Amino acid sequence: MILLQSHSRFLLQTLLNRVQNLEKAVELDYHWVEFDDVRYHILVSMKNPNALLLSVSLPIPPPEAVFMGGLPFGAIEAIKAAYGVAVQILDPPRDGFNLTLKLNLGKLPPDEEHRYALLVKIASVREVVLGAPLRVVLKHLSSRTVIPGIDGLLAIVHRSKESFFLDPQPDKVTVVFPMRFKDSVDIAFATSFLQEFVEARRTAGLNNAPSCLWSPTPPLELKEAPAEALSANAGFVSFVILPRHVEGKKLDRTVWNLSTFHAYVSYHVKCSEGFMHTRMRRRVESMIQALDRAKPGVEGRKKSPNSRSFKRLSLKEV
Amino acid sequence: MDPTSRPAVVIDYGTGYTKMGFAGNVEPCFISPTVVAVNESFLNQSRTSSKANRLAQHSAGVMADLDFFIGEEALTKSRSTNTYSLSYPIKHGQVDNWDAMERYWQQCIFNYLRCDPEDHYFLLTESPLTAPESREYTGEIMFETFNVPGLYIAVNSVLALAAGYTTSKCEMTGVVVDVGDGATHVVPVADGYVIGSSIKSIPISGKDVTLFIQQLMRERGENVPPEDSFEVARKVKETHCYTCSDIVKEFNKHDKEPAKYIKHWRGIKPKTGAPYSCDIGYERFLGPEVFFNPEIYSSDFTTPLPAVIDKCIQSAPIDTRRALYKNIVLSGGSTMFKDFGRRLQRDLKKIVDTRVLTSEARLGGGIKSQPVEVKCSQSSYPEICSLVWRFSTSIYA
Amino acid sequence: MATSLRLYLTCIRNTLEAALCLQNFPCQEVERHNKPEVEMKTSQELLLNSILICRNEAEKCLIETSINSLRISLKVKQADELENILTKKFLRFLSMRAEAFQVLRRKPVQGYDISFLITNFHCEEMQKRKLIDFIVQFMEDIEKEISELKMSVNTRGRLVATEFLKQFI
Repeated sequence: MILLQSHSRFLLQTLLNRVQNLEKAVELDYHWVEFDDVRYHILVSMKNPNALLLSVSLPIPPPEAVFMGGLPFGAIEAIKAAYGVAVQILDPPRDGFNLTLKLNLGKLPPDEEHRYALLVKIASVREVVLGAPLRVVLKHLSSRTVIPGIDGLLAIVHRSKESFFLDPQPDKVTVVFPMRFKDSVDIAFATSFLQEFVEARRTAGLNNAPSCLWSPTPPLELKEAPAEALSANAGFVSFVILPRHVEGKKLDRTVWNLSTFHAYVSYHVKCSEGFMHTRMRRRVESMIQALDRAKPGVEGRKKSPNSRSFKRLSLKEV
Repeated sequence: MDPTSRPAVVIDYGTGYTKMGFAGNVEPCFISPTVVAVNESFLNQSRTSSKANRLAQHSAGVMADLDFFIGEEALTKSRSTNTYSLSYPIKHGQVDNWDAMERYWQQCIFNYLRCDPEDHYFLLTESPLTAPESREYTGEIMFETFNVPGLYIAVNSVLALAAGYTTSKCEMTGVVVDVGDGATHVVPVADGYVIGSSIKSIPISGKDVTLFIQQLMRERGENVPPEDSFEVARKVKETHCYTCSDIVKEFNKHDKEPAKYIKHWRGIKPKTGAPYSCDIGYERFLGPEVFFNPEIYSSDFTTPLPAVIDKCIQSAPIDTRRALYKNIVLSGGSTMFKDFGRRLQRDLKKIVDTRVLTSEARLGGGIKSQPVEVKCSQSSYPEICSLVWRFSTSIYA
Repeated sequence: MATSLRLYLTCIRNTLEAALCLQNFPCQEVERHNKPEVEMKTSQELLLNSILICRNEAEKCLIETSINSLRISLKVKQADELENILTKKFLRFLSMRAEAFQVLRRKPVQGYDISFLITNFHCEEMQKRKLIDFIVQFMEDIEKEISELKMSVNTRGRLVATEFLKQFI
């Protein structure tokens, strides 16, 4: 797996399971947590097996990224647009969650293909909700307009108490990620990875990709940002998104990739640490073999048994 | 930001299946076969190839490192193409291939559970006979690669016992009979501590049941394609096998009413895609019977499971024995055959009663001993999982 | 291999060949004990002068000898932050497996990255020449592995970046 998928595997599995065995009423009550502190809770009661309550709690927003009514701006519209009649938003949401959706499993599209597509969409609820503000901005970019009422920097939460920044302009949107990691090894790896992003962009095949910059200090776009958002131990990455990156179907992919950029880098940092372990294990094996070669006993055994013409005596044996 | 506010991640990796999920739920989120399909075409080349194309292959090799699948996906991949080779990271309850194991965990965490390992405490399990080195390596991978904030490695048999732990019944003494796919252990636990010296292992496990069923079906000449026969035998074991009370009676029952007892198996040949079907007969009860009469399967090991349990309890300290007989907990997939616990309890009771009778006869019948209570119960994974969150509070960072 | 590295390694090899003449020596303080004197440092007359071989500021090798044991401590070149971390990671990985290496010390001597402790018993059990071969090869391997690891981190970063950027095209 190289890219992160947008749907939650467990949520999709549960939904499919539920839909396939609709006639069998079962009780479901699951809690789980995904990366970046997105929590899910799913609840089905015996009384009403067709109604499935899905609650989502989002990472806590930092002060600069404002939630409206507990959700990022544009989220309600995004949910309505994505799910239509099968899903109802409960107000207020369950205790401790930002959003509770009520799914009516009886109202899903009857034909297999559409139903599956809708379930995948529901399983990607985090993309819909957390990516909503980004989607609004990028939509305006594709029509080359600026959202009325918003000028200057826009902060969007992507991790608990952390946000990334958008600088929307009519013909381009600059996205800036302050990158933070906990572990010193992760910081070193991530820093070298991020510099490779800049290098990779220069290669011939990727001329049309968004241009990409990395710097250890905050870029100019962030001069209005609050001071606490400007500390990043792995530097700042900025992408310049042009209208051609958000045309038509590309919009969904761009939204998902940008909103999980940190998770993507972090996943690959972990993977490469695992890969190093594999290499080091192999190296240790070859080194132990080299040491074994120093022992006369090992070689002696390989030769014929009566070649023991003389043997070194150690003081222990005397 | 504190990991204690999030549920702990539980990964119980067995030889056959891995169970993973979050503490606090009643069931694991995923149960998938412990198998990794690796694309090995690149991995071994970098050493032998010439310097010129080494760089190209090096980068391909780096990519191939991510080109692998686990669980059911691995099985389907390896069937459909030749580029992937399967590797089973755990053999007989012990981690055998650390590279594969590390990748397996990586996918468990990032692809299946999709959680950030830095945010959660982890609970892993190990078999009671795991060497300290292996535990060290597990810790090394977990802390170095995944940066987990805290880790607890629990002995799975203690967890099985703890699964029956409720507020009304605080019983942490008992014998855990853990019959997994790759290993069978009989583990006596007294007040939560494993009595290491009395652990007994049996070379017969769930996999042997599968092999035995495969052998029986092959000998009868059932129409199963050879490359699929192991998988078919496994499915037969999981869906149709049960424990009988007496082999001879069971043979008679089958012969009298074949229509009622013989099941059918339908499948599709993987190579040609042609459908086939075969019958499932005596192996339905002969499979689980290998635990009670091992001589039908192997000539090397002939002690039945009840006798091993009895020996195990007899080797434990004398003051714990009565409590151990009273609380025998079955865990692991291969104890889930119908009536397995009842049969075990009956056979064990027979052994104990005979011993009590002979000792009474020897003492002249003057003294009547208190009857020993033998009780078997089934423990299942969901309970373990739901219990685990209680442990997680005591996890160290 | 750079010539300076070859000189450095040859120098270490020759020094080791001269220094590895160890003999059994019972402890002077406790009866029936036998301790590596280079670690105990109880008595001055059992210790020989230690030798410091430097390739440059960052790479050096300290060889301490005594009557029955010899200690080699290495400092490995760490050009940047990433190399520093890779070295630390790799050497810790090795030290964790010190049991398998026999002559490896579980903890490096202060100021160095990795240390070996060779006693007279090791010399009896293994051929001296081969043992020196092992130490020298070990040093070469560390150097090679670190640079390969570094390269693989960079290649990987490039591939990861390429895959990500491809998504936008």
